[in-house]
Amino acid sequence: MSLRRFLPLFLLILISFTIMTYQSNKGITAPLGFIGKPLDRVNALVHSISSAVREPFRKMLIRESELRRLREENGRLLALQEKYRELVSENERLREILLLRERERRYVAAARVVSKGWDRWANTIIIDKGVRDGVAKDMAVITPLGLVGKVVVAGDRSSQVLLITDLNFSASVKVQETRQEAIYSGTGNDGSLKYISREDPISEGSVVVTSGFDGLFPAEVPVGYVSRATNRSSDIFQDVVVRPFQDLTRLDEVAVVKR
Amino acid sequence: MKAALVAIATILALLLQNRISIFGIPPALTLVIVYLLGIRLGALKGMLAGALIGAVEDSAAGGILGPALLSKGVVGFSASFASGGLFRWTPVLGVIAVALFTVLDGLTVFVARFLYETPPAPLSRVVVVLVVQGIMNAAAGPFIRPPHAE
Repeated sequence: MSLRRFLPLFLLILISFTIMTYQSNKGITAPLGFIGKPLDRVNALVHSISSAVREPFRKMLIRESELRRLREENGRLLALQEKYRELVSENERLREILLLRERERRYVAAARVVSKGWDRWANTIIIDKGVRDGVAKDMAVITPLGLVGKVVVAGDRSSQVLLITDLNFSASVKVQETRQEAIYSGTGNDGSLKYISREDPISEGSVVVTSGFDGLFPAEVPVGYVSRATNRSSDIFQDVVVRPFQDLTRLDEVAVVKR
Repeated sequence: MKAALVAIATILALLLQNRISIFGIPPALTLVIVYLLGIRLGALKGMLAGALIGAVEDSAAGGILGPALLSKGVVGFSASFASGGLFRWTPVLGVIAVALFTVLDGLTVFVARFLYETPPAPLSRVVVVLVVQGIMNAAAGPFIRPPHAE
């Protein structure tokens, strides 16, 4: 391989370095500078064409991501709204308990319902107040709507409450309009009035309240209303069903009161 | 006609390498054209074509005329050796040759700018760029054959 073959390369290197050395001393020369303008124009044209093609897709992607963001935001706001509703409702309930506290002389403590009771056969609930809060066995448990039950076990910081629908619950009551006295007993789902004579008139919708005669519950605490009253020919007493005012499946806050 | 095609290809390469990139590094498409010309036209014509393309690139860049002129000219000249002048062409050789010439091109421009202008980038960045460009361009290696290659 002869060196003559590399002569053009050496010339190229020499010329290049000469040009670069000249420019580093005298400033940039641009003999092909006229190429710049048309190249820029073509570049701008290509850019505008590619932008025009890309733009709809870019907008679609932006809309897609914006939609996703709005959906997430919506979900978050709905959850927040639900939370606020719950807080407003709780606020209302607590306000009622507070009014009850101010009204009821025998008020002991306000409590939250923690859970259903441990006994799976009995209708009981657990509340978060106990002996340390002044709660004792046989104290009445009420809400602004009416009687809920009575404390059957008072622990240190929690208590078990027997609900008025339980078979083992009973209270001395009277029909508000007629002042008829009777014994209210739980039936498992609702309650019943015992010892209402066939001759004593009793109508559906009549309000039943505690009489206070048993010494267990304060007097005039609403219990429920008569949902059905039937006379059987074989019985001397009427068969009266009482539906509690307080929906016992929706208990959140209750008040414990003394006998 | 061929000159017009080369001119169009060079402009397209310049426009395209402005628009595409991998990890922020554009390919050196003009180098691929110079390599093709070098391998097809031979040492002298390849060198002249490369020098011209390099000059266009320098002018478009707006810096001093010379770095790309020199680097592309050298590549155009040297590419002829990969076409059978020194080695027998194979696709693997083509891949290696394109990758090596890409690195050589980049290094030449870097050194020239370092000597006559300001360094275009830190050395660490230059190494990364050249390696990535070499890998990108190497993909064209098996497809750029000399005329007599099987």
